[in-house]
Amino acid sequence: MEKFQFDDDLVRSLAKLLEETGLTEIEFEAEGQRIRVGRNSGMVAPQSQAPFLASELENSGEESERHHPGAVTSPMVGTAYTMPEPGTPPFVSVGDTVSEGQTMLIIEAMKTMNPLPAPRDGKVVRVLVGNGDPVEFGEVLMIIE
Amino acid sequence: MFEKILIANRGEVALRIHRACREMGIRTVAVHSTADADAMHVRLADESVCIGPPATRRSYLNVPAILTAATITNADAIHPGVGFLAENAQFAEMVAEHDIIFIGPAPEHMAIMGDKIAAKATMAKVGLPVIPGSDGPILDEDKALKLSAKIGYPVIVKAAAGAGGRGMKVAHNDETLRQALPTARVEAKANFGSDTLYLEKFLEKPRHIEIQILADNHGNVIHLGERDCSLQRRHQKVIEEAPSPALNAVTREKIGARCVKAMKKLGYQSVGTVELLYENGKFYFIEMNTRLQVEHPISEMISGIDLAREQIRVATGAKLNTAQKNIHLTGHAIECRINAENPETFVPSPGIITDYHAPGGLDVRVDSALYSGYRVPPDYDSLIAKLIVRGRSRNECMMRLRRALEEFVIGGVETTIPLHQRLLTETDFINGDYDIHWLENLLKPVA
Repeated sequence: MEKFQFDDDLVRSLAKLLEETGLTEIEFEAEGQRIRVGRNSGMVAPQSQAPFLASELENSGEESERHHPGAVTSPMVGTAYTMPEPGTPPFVSVGDTVSEGQTMLIIEAMKTMNPLPAPRDGKVVRVLVGNGDPVEFGEVLMIIE
Repeated sequence: MFEKILIANRGEVALRIHRACREMGIRTVAVHSTADADAMHVRLADESVCIGPPATRRSYLNVPAILTAATITNADAIHPGVGFLAENAQFAEMVAEHDIIFIGPAPEHMAIMGDKIAAKATMAKVGLPVIPGSDGPILDEDKALKLSAKIGYPVIVKAAAGAGGRGMKVAHNDETLRQALPTARVEAKANFGSDTLYLEKFLEKPRHIEIQILADNHGNVIHLGERDCSLQRRHQKVIEEAPSPALNAVTREKIGARCVKAMKKLGYQSVGTVELLYENGKFYFIEMNTRLQVEHPISEMISGIDLAREQIRVATGAKLNTAQKNIHLTGHAIECRINAENPETFVPSPGIITDYHAPGGLDVRVDSALYSGYRVPPDYDSLIAKLIVRGRSRNECMMRLRRALEEFVIGGVETTIPLHQRLLTETDFINGDYDIHWLENLLKPVA
């Protein structure tokens, strides 16, 4: 299969067209490649695709993080605590250097505290979870580079 | 009424429960494995929590993950669906300990019915007919042989902790019984964790008839008639119909009343199904499923009662709002279980659904979580759709079902639709003249 040539000029002009015409969706096909640009009009789209709900939109920013080689993902469902106790400094902050095995977070489930160790040495470049946030399996919590 | 229900299941069952919740204005939480992140019910649910990787043990059977998900989402109740933890008494207890309502019967009834020996003994005590057999575990070969001589061959050896029709062995004489016992023990231990066996008379050509029970927490119990689930392959149901072509109104009323009386004596709550074998005009209790069943829609189609909704209602403590005398079963319904399998070899066929078009029309219902572009994961059972059709008569129902099957498009994977189409042309099926061995005999390769 040939590589899909991502033409961002094309996408930009299609998006502009949407704005100008008030359409919600344009699909453009040429030479075996197809692009569809859509605009969320605020109404749930009918049955051709299942509606995207709030939880999906929130996670869409996270999608790109999931595949980051330094992504630290949650091994379980629970509540994340970024500090050992309320009022104490967090385990790690952005910019910190961590070594493999160092505790980065605690995930609490069923009243047991589970420390989350750093999978390798590196520098914390992003912290994606707040103190007390509920987390699901596979959720990206931090990024180490 | 509950504000939020966590659905601890997947596939079309989870979608079914989600629908019942939404129709009552209840918010839903879908817990799912990574393999089900794009599942229909996950996309439709108000909230979703990924609880683990694809493996069932680490996701849909992962009790701590499910309980934690319920806690962090503040769910009022958990609906366990069908299979997975639906008949797990310990899970039900743990849910209650977390101050969350488990939508199902009391843990003690789940435990009794989960132990097939205890279930039989209990049901005999509350007045249901049972199959003659060991009435307890078989502890040694001699006793097994003596008992078989008494009740008469053929006999069947079953695992006390068994489920899903697995691990059962038939013996036609002393020799085969001697061979079957140790094998059955080993298999039972491997599949169900316990090598306890029991023995029963094996009925040669029975029909599988089951009675749908609905009970509230106030002692009111009703039944919604029977379902005939005799069309099975390897103990898995393929087609179910309600009412059974083999029962008349008098027989139905009698066995229904007997089951209701037994349930009242037990103090049973929620939905449940009493499964029986029926041969030569006699019923024999085999097991009870203390949950909603896959084939519940056919009972819904002929009674007009939404079973998932009622199950949720009674879990809030509400009283049943229909008395037995107001349950009217009209028409005839048939369900085809459509699996993602080759229709002849039954080899599973997971993959991406390229085209999807469900049949429609009066009294045609499709319970399925499929959509065009959906990837059927290889990690779970192969049921991908249930086609449920009703007619004013059995003939009209079959005509409608034949028509609906013609329209059903599921592209990208192999399905058992051709098998269902074939079964609808078989004279025996058309005449309603089949027993629990019929389908397997039909499918046996011709020598």
